[in-house]
Amino acid sequence: MLQAILAALATVAAIIVVVAIVVHRRHRNDNEMHVHPQNMNSIKTFGVSAQGKPASTTPRVKPDQVSGSVPGESMHGRFLAFGVFAAAVFGTLGARLWSMQVLQYDDYRQRSNENLYTTIYTPAPRGIIYDADGRALVQNRTNYVALASSDVANNHDVVLRLSGLLGIPYEVVRQRILDTTTGTQSNRVVADNLSMRNVSYLVEHADAFPGVTTQLRTERSYPYDALAAHVLGYTGTVSDDDLQNQSEGQNYQSGDVVGRSGVEATYEDVLAGDHGTRVVLADANGDVQQVISETDPTRGNDLYLTIKAPVQYAADRALADLLAPDGRFGAGDGTGGCVVCLDARDGGVVALSSCPTFSPSTFTGGVSQDVWDAFNTDESQYPLMDRVVSGTYPAASTFKAFSALAALTDGVATAQSTYNCTGVWYGFGEDYPHRCLREGGHGTLNLQQGIANSCDIVFYNIAKSFWDQRDTLGQDALQDFIEKYGFGQQEGIDLSGEAAGRVPTPEWKANYFRDEPEEGQWVGGDMSNMIIGQGYTLVTPLQIACGYAGIATGTIYRPHLMKEVHNSLGQTVLSYNAQVNYEPDVEQQYLDLVRNGLRDVITVNTAEMGDLGQQSFTVAGKTGTAEVANKDDYAWFVCYAPADNPRYVVACLIEQGVYPGTSAIPVAGTVLKAAMASDDGTVDQNIQPITSSYTYVTYTSSSSNSRSD
Amino acid sequence: MPQIRQISSLATPNAQVAAATKPRRFKYLNAPLMIIVALLTIYGLVVVYSAVSTNSQYNFSRQLMGVALGVVLMVLLFRYDYHQLSHYMTFFLILNVVLILMPHLPLIGMSANGATSWVRIGPLSFQPGEFAKISVILLAASVMQRYGGHLDDPREYLKTLVIMLIPFLCIMTQPDLGTGLVYLFIDAVALITGGANKKFLWITLAVFVGGVVALFTLDPILDQIAGHDVLIKDYQKARLLVFLDNSYDPTGDGYNLQQAKIAIGSGGLFGKGLMNAQQSTLGYLPESATDFIFCVLAEEFGFFGALALLVLYALLIWQCYRVAYNANDLFGAVIVMCVCGMWLFQILENIGMDIGLMPITGIPLPFVSFGSSFMIVNFIMLGFIGSVWAHNRR
Repeated sequence: MLQAILAALATVAAIIVVVAIVVHRRHRNDNEMHVHPQNMNSIKTFGVSAQGKPASTTPRVKPDQVSGSVPGESMHGRFLAFGVFAAAVFGTLGARLWSMQVLQYDDYRQRSNENLYTTIYTPAPRGIIYDADGRALVQNRTNYVALASSDVANNHDVVLRLSGLLGIPYEVVRQRILDTTTGTQSNRVVADNLSMRNVSYLVEHADAFPGVTTQLRTERSYPYDALAAHVLGYTGTVSDDDLQNQSEGQNYQSGDVVGRSGVEATYEDVLAGDHGTRVVLADANGDVQQVISETDPTRGNDLYLTIKAPVQYAADRALADLLAPDGRFGAGDGTGGCVVCLDARDGGVVALSSCPTFSPSTFTGGVSQDVWDAFNTDESQYPLMDRVVSGTYPAASTFKAFSALAALTDGVATAQSTYNCTGVWYGFGEDYPHRCLREGGHGTLNLQQGIANSCDIVFYNIAKSFWDQRDTLGQDALQDFIEKYGFGQQEGIDLSGEAAGRVPTPEWKANYFRDEPEEGQWVGGDMSNMIIGQGYTLVTPLQIACGYAGIATGTIYRPHLMKEVHNSLGQTVLSYNAQVNYEPDVEQQYLDLVRNGLRDVITVNTAEMGDLGQQSFTVAGKTGTAEVANKDDYAWFVCYAPADNPRYVVACLIEQGVYPGTSAIPVAGTVLKAAMASDDGTVDQNIQPITSSYTYVTYTSSSSNSRSD
Repeated sequence: MPQIRQISSLATPNAQVAAATKPRRFKYLNAPLMIIVALLTIYGLVVVYSAVSTNSQYNFSRQLMGVALGVVLMVLLFRYDYHQLSHYMTFFLILNVVLILMPHLPLIGMSANGATSWVRIGPLSFQPGEFAKISVILLAASVMQRYGGHLDDPREYLKTLVIMLIPFLCIMTQPDLGTGLVYLFIDAVALITGGANKKFLWITLAVFVGGVVALFTLDPILDQIAGHDVLIKDYQKARLLVFLDNSYDPTGDGYNLQQAKIAIGSGGLFGKGLMNAQQSTLGYLPESATDFIFCVLAEEFGFFGALALLVLYALLIWQCYRVAYNANDLFGAVIVMCVCGMWLFQILENIGMDIGLMPITGIPLPFVSFGSSFMIVNFIMLGFIGSVWAHNRR
């Protein structure tokens, strides 16, 4: 707008100046026309022909004759129009130049700089991830890769030379160049881990390899392969979406490596380094003319985890031995499983293992679509899923500890209450028989014995009491108490994808079955199902571990993996401060009763417990057998030790493990013993790489078989 | 009209008469005009030097030779009495046709960038279309002078139009629309200053505008019938789109305009300094020595440098305008006005396209753009203007 006004003003001014000059000249010509060439000619003639005569007959030149003989005069209007046109041209050009070069200078200057100066980013190595004792779980390594642009695939000679140099079959080289999974624009990786000999050959004979370049990359390396895979997570190349949706303080460039899961993702901002930058003056072809400035990349901060590698190794090893004894997943008992070990005193995760697992290195430098698809099928049992935080299961008998505390707190049961178990219970009518796990029944039991023997009928009676007193206690009395231990809510662990689980309430059920109101009625059966952790109740293994830590110590800390952050100079810049998630208000005598019951579990069920009863420390725990529709029973075991001064709590779930005694108990026991041993330094420090119990190779071989059938 | 004063004595004539009849010190040299041209040429050479210094495609000494040859021809023309040329209308017509159609001849004709507009004879290569600008001007002037400023007969007017259109039709066979538009503008100036009836002029303008509108309306239909570009080429459509929306396709068809504007705008008030036109030296701005030379000037010398050029141009036009205004025959006046008009049009188009005011066409900037044919032609034009000035004594 401003420039338009200026242009108009300049034009008008120019026109005025021109008109003024023209009018002025015309005026002067009018006054001094006597020197006009035509007049002079006639004067001359007159002078020659009329010598000596007086000038009385001086001829006058007729005005029309004068103007008619000089085009400048006769075409005056047209000449003037031309002058105005010229003035308008110069005025417009000048005004426009003023607007561009003065008013919009900053904008154009910036665009010129964007043209000329290019910032080249050199990737910074990510921080290293250590366990609690400073053992590196994820490191960086340098890797020379050979890259080829897509059009090289059509250049037979170059592909042939690459094939010969790298020792890769011709067709494989061609396939890798044609592979578009890392994006259609980017260069394709032909080979990685090049030897220095091959790198120098490629560089020296660049003219024989048009379109082929070598690149030095810093990549994640995993000294223990799949150890703690679900804790660490994997990395990937930054996506276009990430690049477009960067938050404040982030500066991702195409080709950067970012954390995609696990702590790699949670602590992305900590681990990511600062790019090195080179500002260069480049010509239109992109050739660098001059380096203006240069900074070195800064490595990301190092992350110290609460994980103890020997305990983690014990956990990974125990699950792998159970579920994939011959190295192939699916050959052992159970179809999947997980185990988590928490430090009950501050919520630190000492070990977290989920099976089947994966090798994070599979994702280094990009994962192909085939592998990605294979990781997300029912057949593969979803190796990428972290069952500890994302898996939701019926809590089964592990729930009884919380039910018992609720009953005591709400006065539905007392330490002196006794129950008679005959193997079957008709509390909700003859049409609804409830059976105990032990067919003949347990006989007469008090509450503590009910916990120790995991007698369902004891708890059915409690459920009926809750149901009968729902008018005085409230319909949600049991649920309200259970939620004090963190069920039905996320624990807030520093891993993504955490599930909240579910504690069913009448409102929830009515909403869930809102299309079939008859089904949505809250009935006594819902109470008797919930009280033994079945029915609509869903928990994550992490919630069970946290809940038992609450029973063991009275306080539930927020589970966490981060211990400390050290900067690239080795200084501690961040330490985790334990945070209390829940502090349930429960009377000490009730807690003691339940704790004693849990301690009795180990001694009463000697056959199942193996050597857990013969340790130097006392163990308390609870088994569970979860019924899942259309599946074999899922086996639970949760335990903590020492029972009188709890330090570690371990929760283990084996999908379709059926008997806790042959699945969950040995796994959890191994982990608990390793955790206890880690405190007095007797834990086995010999850690071998964990191989992924599930591999892409086994999947493709089986699927190709089924295809040929 | 004032009465002329009586001359009382022939022995002591009136001082004003004496001044008017006094012979010029340099009879053939219009000093103010020459100073302006010298400044303009030097300024242009400096800018061209900086533009070609990093580009081996151009030969700066060729440009110097063009200037030298042009100056010699100009000085020779000063002494030549242009009046004689007014009788050679038919000759100019034939010369035009021969010149403009020359590139179509086998052996000597050359094609470049989709247009057959170059001729090579031995070591010499030039664009006859550039030289034809001279004969187009002489043709137009000689046609107009036959009517003595009163072209009022419709039949004669039509005849004039037909004669004037012949060079344009010839150049469109190359094809070279940019030069063709220069011819048309020259003819328009000749018709207006040569005294064609105003009514006819308005009708001609209306027909011209109507024709352009019809061209754009018919073009898509004809394209569809023929299945390929008939009248307006794809690149011409793209240039128009860029002109209508400066930000259209900034990396493709709009690239040149974007880079031209960046070069000019980033020059600022005082410019980046001589030999420091980064946009052109680093290859972002194409054709920087020829069509986009103004961008180099504006980037190196900024707003004041650009303004200085505009002032020099304005003074040049003003001086020539004075020569035309004071010429005592129509032929001379029309020649000078046509040259003025041609320069003005080229200045407007060349600078205008760089700053997004005009669509992009390949029209060079007088006395500045690289090109020795173009330099020589401009000096020959100056020679004619000098001739008109010298042979119209005050």
